[in-house]
Amino acid sequence: MNRRIALRHLALISGGLVLIPSCDFSKEDILAAYENLKVTASQKNLLGMISDTIIPAGEIKGALDLEVPDFILVMVDDCFTQDNQTKFTEGLASFPDYVKNASGKKFEDLSTKEKEEVILAGTKLEGDDTDEGKKKAAVAYFLNSTKRLTIQGYMASEYIQTEVIPYSLIPGEYNGAVLISDLQKPRVNG
Amino acid sequence: MANLNIRNKQERTYQAIVIGSGISGSWAAKELCELGVKTLMLERGRNVEHSKDYPTTTMLPYEFEHRGQIPEKIKEENPVVSRCYAFREDAMHFFVKDKEHPYVQEKPFDWIRGYQVGGKSLLWARQVQRWSDFDFEGPARDGFAVDWPIRYKDLEKWYSHVEKFAGVSGFRDGIDTLPDGEFLPGYELNIVEKHFADQLKKNYGGTRHMISARCAHIHGNAEYYAQQGRTLCQNRNLCQRGCPFGGYFSSNSSTIPWALKTGNLTLRPDAVVHSIIYDEEKGKATGVRIVDRLTKETEEFYADVIFLNAAALNSNLVLMNSTSSRFPNGLGNDNGLLGKYVAFHNYRAQVSGTWEGHNEYTTSGGRPTSGYFPRFRNVYKQETDFLRGYAAGFSANRGVRSNSDGIGMELKNSLLNPDQFGPWYVGSHMMGETIPKESNFVALDLSQKDEWGMPLLKVSVDYDDNDEKMIKDYQEQMSEMFEKAGITNIRVNDDHRIPGLDIHEMGGVRMGKDPKTSLLNANHQLHAVPNVYVTDGASMTSTSTQNPSLTYMAFAARAAHHAVAESKK
Repeated sequence: MNRRIALRHLALISGGLVLIPSCDFSKEDILAAYENLKVTASQKNLLGMISDTIIPAGEIKGALDLEVPDFILVMVDDCFTQDNQTKFTEGLASFPDYVKNASGKKFEDLSTKEKEEVILAGTKLEGDDTDEGKKKAAVAYFLNSTKRLTIQGYMASEYIQTEVIPYSLIPGEYNGAVLISDLQKPRVNG
Repeated sequence: MANLNIRNKQERTYQAIVIGSGISGSWAAKELCELGVKTLMLERGRNVEHSKDYPTTTMLPYEFEHRGQIPEKIKEENPVVSRCYAFREDAMHFFVKDKEHPYVQEKPFDWIRGYQVGGKSLLWARQVQRWSDFDFEGPARDGFAVDWPIRYKDLEKWYSHVEKFAGVSGFRDGIDTLPDGEFLPGYELNIVEKHFADQLKKNYGGTRHMISARCAHIHGNAEYYAQQGRTLCQNRNLCQRGCPFGGYFSSNSSTIPWALKTGNLTLRPDAVVHSIIYDEEKGKATGVRIVDRLTKETEEFYADVIFLNAAALNSNLVLMNSTSSRFPNGLGNDNGLLGKYVAFHNYRAQVSGTWEGHNEYTTSGGRPTSGYFPRFRNVYKQETDFLRGYAAGFSANRGVRSNSDGIGMELKNSLLNPDQFGPWYVGSHMMGETIPKESNFVALDLSQKDEWGMPLLKVSVDYDDNDEKMIKDYQEQMSEMFEKAGITNIRVNDDHRIPGLDIHEMGGVRMGKDPKTSLLNANHQLHAVPNVYVTDGASMTSTSTQNPSLTYMAFAARAAHHAVAESKK
């Protein structure tokens, strides 16, 4: 954890990203903050676009405003098994091809509605034992994990839990028979 | 190892030594100190001062890097403790890590430990039901283990004594199997739990009960607890982090500061107890040998009376490692039974379901307890093909959810406005009495030593046929009770957890009337070394079906008063 924080601070001070140089110059450098993952800066950007499609900004901030992509990568880096990390990064790497095949365009060139559709369709992909099938399964795993972690990182963020739906450390005395009709909650408009 | 006993013996001499600072040790120390006894408390772990050393207690969910989840690397390194429900990002600093304190599993056993001042009192589930004579008379009636040398009447006033000080909330339910005590106002069951309790009474002619479980939380009489620096429970349900309000009983918030205030307590953390010193000429124990956790130096402390409260299995370990020519097989172990007849609580099975009624209701706020079924099986007579029975936890909950199927603004608005009330979810888990047997034991593995030169503990504990039958009966009976109450989607489960995860390991230094068949007498003294008292889980002759900590508190308080009375003779 300390190493990661140090790397983040360094990135802030130097005004850029701390990268592990790849030996192969044709390839992009790998982000050093996520020790167990091979994720490049552009892949992190892509993840940012996906999470921001899942929960976009509006009257209330969206996933990208709250640095949810970083949370997602921290969780995958620390809390996923090695097998699942591999599936996740393979899915992330295969995602651009999947989008291209499905829509004929790059993800960033799609409209919001098209982005939403391609992600939702991707979560439902079914894989098989062929190379193509394995890629499909990895894309579905990647998108479902990303959606779940986007929701978690967004809802359990400081912004949401202090400014939108304040979290109470002291929830008050138990009432075991509350009429739902008596609960008055103003509707939050995202 | 260098023996740097440079301070003179007098400086290291006290009137009493208490080994262990958890629930039972802190109670022994508090009573001794209040009675004017100069007491040294030895704790193998680091110091944890109330409030000051609860680093996560006021942290908000988003302040945890993994939102509570344990990273995979830590799980891989610590498979045993990772199986404990409370081992989460917010409390993992209070648990022993597998790697740091190895033990030998002759049979699979999840040994969950808390090595710090306060021990597991920071982490316990805070359920405090009294035993009754249906429990104490169990072994004698059903012909297993040995007869308890005490009965409810011996413990009754001590239950009251510890309940009042610790703070116990509950209702006077008037049930013969679960005696009433000194209660602060109870926590009401919710509307569905009450409905179920009423149904149960109707369907079983008043022979089965489901009550609000008594818990060690302050729910009233705040002025009295203010003397301890504690206040009302705030229903945070973050107890495992340590409570800055002292809302629940822990050694750290209650008994230890109280004992320190008398001026009679010396607290010595980082003291790994090696053995109790036995003086052959005097024919009694004279002190305790420790290894400093950090410097690894050995040191000796001396006292007239020694209380061993290292937690059940570690109290066995200390006695087994306390050898002399008089006691070559461990202190007080003339009959060879030390370490044997270990037992635990069987939590393997759960039954759950849904309740479609009371749709217009939900709950609000928090509470530190839930429902509890006192044992109803084989109480008045033997009625099944297995011995004894089980208690059970019970609760009904209704969560509010949001639809997370969508994406984009639709998903966002759904998440920010959770309004989908599912049905009430009803759940129960068993807590079965296991029968102590000679074949369930702990012993020393002399071939392996830990960092402090202590032989490793070898654990050989398993379920038996009686447990399997009891699991089946619990599943059948609970399903029937659910069904009769109109609960649907009933699911029975056996999670096949291995022993130990209940964190209710007991026995090995059992009480009894006869020195030939037990280690301790009715006052918790070693038969053969009466100035050594064992008042923690190690002393349990049988296990019954209550969470045991309250009984250990009562044991410790009662034995401390006995020791002081003896010293005045």
